[in-house]
Amino acid sequence: MSNILIRDLIKRHGALVTVDRVSLEIGQGEFIAFLGPSGCGKTTTLRMIAGLTPASAGSIHFGTREVTHLPPYLRDAGLVFQGYALFPHMSVAENVAFGLQMRKVDREEARRRVDEVLSLVKLAHLAGRLPKELSGGQQQRVALARAIVYKPEVLLLDEPLSALDAQLRTEVRTELKRLQSALGLTTIFVTHDQDEALSVADRIVVMSAGRVEQVGTPREIYQRPATRFVAEFIGRTNLFPGGLDGPGRFRSESGERFAFGNADAPSNASALAIRPEHVSLQRGAPAPGGACTLEATVEDVIYRGALTEVVVRTASGARLAAHLHNADSGRDDLRPGDPVVASWPADAPMLF
Amino acid sequence: MSALALTGEDSLTGGLPAPGATDRRRRRSSAGWLLFPSLTLVLAGLVLPLALMARTSVAHFDAASPDLVGFTLENYARFFGEPFYLMILARTLVVALSCTAICLVLGVPAAFVISRVESRALKTVLILATIIPLLMGNAVRAAGWMVLLADKGLINSALLSAGLIAEPVRILYTGSAVVIGLIAVLLPFMVISLESVFENIGTAYEEAAQTMGAPPWTAFFRVTLPLAMPGIFSGCLLCFVLAMNAYATPVLIGGPSFQMMAPKVFEQAIKVYNWPFAATIALVLMAVTLVLSVASSLALQKRYGVL
Amino acid sequence: MAGTRSPSPRSLSDGSFRPVMVGGCVAAFVMVLSPLVAIVWISFFENKIISFPPTGYTLDWYRAAAAMPQFRDGFVTSLKLGVVATLVSLIAGVPAALVLARGRFPGREAIQSLLLAPLIVPGIVAGAALYMFLIEVELASGVQVAMTFWGLALAHSLIALPWTVRLVTASLVGLDPQLKEAALTMGARPLTAFRLVTWPLIRPGVVAGALFAFIASFVDLEKSLFLVGPGVTTLPIVIVNYLEWSIDPTIAAVATVQIAVISAGLVLTDRYFKLARAF
Repeated sequence: MSNILIRDLIKRHGALVTVDRVSLEIGQGEFIAFLGPSGCGKTTTLRMIAGLTPASAGSIHFGTREVTHLPPYLRDAGLVFQGYALFPHMSVAENVAFGLQMRKVDREEARRRVDEVLSLVKLAHLAGRLPKELSGGQQQRVALARAIVYKPEVLLLDEPLSALDAQLRTEVRTELKRLQSALGLTTIFVTHDQDEALSVADRIVVMSAGRVEQVGTPREIYQRPATRFVAEFIGRTNLFPGGLDGPGRFRSESGERFAFGNADAPSNASALAIRPEHVSLQRGAPAPGGACTLEATVEDVIYRGALTEVVVRTASGARLAAHLHNADSGRDDLRPGDPVVASWPADAPMLF
Repeated sequence: MSALALTGEDSLTGGLPAPGATDRRRRRSSAGWLLFPSLTLVLAGLVLPLALMARTSVAHFDAASPDLVGFTLENYARFFGEPFYLMILARTLVVALSCTAICLVLGVPAAFVISRVESRALKTVLILATIIPLLMGNAVRAAGWMVLLADKGLINSALLSAGLIAEPVRILYTGSAVVIGLIAVLLPFMVISLESVFENIGTAYEEAAQTMGAPPWTAFFRVTLPLAMPGIFSGCLLCFVLAMNAYATPVLIGGPSFQMMAPKVFEQAIKVYNWPFAATIALVLMAVTLVLSVASSLALQKRYGVL
Repeated sequence: MAGTRSPSPRSLSDGSFRPVMVGGCVAAFVMVLSPLVAIVWISFFENKIISFPPTGYTLDWYRAAAAMPQFRDGFVTSLKLGVVATLVSLIAGVPAALVLARGRFPGREAIQSLLLAPLIVPGIVAGAALYMFLIEVELASGVQVAMTFWGLALAHSLIALPWTVRLVTASLVGLDPQLKEAALTMGARPLTAFRLVTWPLIRPGVVAGALFAFIASFVDLEKSLFLVGPGVTTLPIVIVNYLEWSIDPTIAAVATVQIAVISAGLVLTDRYFKLARAF
């Protein structure tokens, strides 16, 4: 049985539609990430689920209960705000106890559960502090503790890591994932950071301009993007606008010919995309037949630690980036101006 | 501060920024000249007169001569010795406190609503509608209440012509009328100071409380209001001080029988020519206001931490 | 709604939050605006004795008020005082604001409180003190100051000063000092830099300060009360004196003129400088 059911959710501001027919089923204990650029409607959708923004149309169910028109305080969701919104006049323990008090949990029981959740987020020793006396990472954990202490039907996280510095962010998201699966909390996580989404979510909902572009596991989203937007938004992509030029053949606007082996390519495809890590580069003459290859000249070589990014340019001016693993070959022999042949596996190109 | 300091100074001295001690010395002397006119004005127009007033309050009153004679506490003794004046002080306090309380009760919702209005245009209109009356002056507003509340005023004649009353109801020249008039004068101060407080608190805390299960009233009383406490306190203080010192409203709306402190100062100084006693009443008024303000802010500091 | 874990059921009062808040807001505006609305309305009533509903409307009371010398003189005196007070407060206040906006220096807090003190010391106390002081000066020097235009001008300059100091400081505090330094490094002479960089940025503050200063002077009652004399009486005091004797549409017309002058000034100011920032 699905835990959260969202059907045709719409948000209008006058003539402007910021969320356009979003539908989604979320299973019990599932970790969902809403991913998209700013202004794509992901936060608005989250706020509609929390009840903070009224939906213009559509419905939201928590289990068998329809909550579309319920005010936030009757929904039983836990929300971690982007800036945390910890009550500055209450101690850590009081902040965490707030939701329990609202549920009229008796004093002893509440104290026990506050202690429990604070030790879960490793903050038991700071229970008496005020939020302003904590570091950013600690505040983040208080916000999380405050949202999960009353075991909400759904945990909503609005860019919860964006205020933390890069190293802490990685640490906290691992911790978050661990807690989420340990507690079996149905979770919706809003982010614009694809790394975050790919590494924590069971499924990702990619949004753009108020619409859902694709829903899928991180692997599906990355390897089989449903739309050109998803292909460009997630990871690095070499994208060539153009059209089909016979079965298994694609011709770009600038004239390059590509062979591909995907059977499910749409017949009206207008763009072809290849991930840089699928591209390999060889010196010397092109392989006979010219399948899945392209002659080019090295334009730029950028050393990036684990990999080297090589940008090559074809005779007609199209650019292609290749990510070469430094562990395999160490392609530091390539110099700008070197002629090379780029090639890729037949099933690597994606068509839209 | 150094960068900003240079900005202010050399712009007027015309000097180029010079490093080190020379610069600092020059800055100090230029600051002196820049402050000279304003400080002179305040010294001559306010500080010296207040000092003289303090001196006057301990002088002996001689109806025949305006000279300051002797050092005596007889004026203070008279004020605190006569029930008549103590009663006026008590009445002034009661009026000021009730006005402050009512301003709080009306001002909090008004400020909260203005701060949460989503339309920019409506918000601007509401803020202007608060500020314009604030700067309208007491004479005009007192006049407004008089035409509304007088025996032959708008309210009475409307009630009479509607047949709801047979005789005009006495509203003007009563204590309630003074309180009503003062609330109208003071409420904009309360609203405008609380509006910015609620605006700064923002909506995130209320939303957080609501998602955790707090209904609107609970969220408001447990989260928003405690966070607004410092602002609420300073708004109340402002209302209280202004109400204590109100002149036009009690004189015009209260009439001759409803006496408060500020009008008594004027009466003693201009009508009776008893300057020492006028000075005494003025200083008692200032001192009582000050003591209550400081005491209440200390009490609140204890309760809510640094304000 | 089943959910055993859901919060306590909706109580009756939950829905009352918005209506109560909005109701309080409406009540507050009724309290604040009704005297102003009433006086403007009555100034157009036809009959001299206020009666409701009015028998008709007329502009006669404006003509009658304009014909009464005490209102005309009061209006002119208030206007002149406002202009003088505004000028003095700008000459004294703008340089002071430039110093205060420099940031922290020893004694800054004290100087700022002192310059804003005329706003805080109750008008009636300050007025009485200034009156006694000016009489003493008169006794010592033999020159009459109290109950003259210049005595009033001193009092009104004090009323105006805090507003210019406050608003100009507010507009300077947000000012990025690097702008000025950038201009200096690009070769602008300091006075040129002030004229081209600092002045355009503080102009809204100065304009708003001047308008507020004028308004504060124009509407003052308490401070002027002690200092007015025969021939030099301000409009608010004329209004109060008249009100002690009678309430009629003529005084309503006079008050309406004052309301119109002040409202126009404030709406104008708001376009340069958000009024809410002044408080």
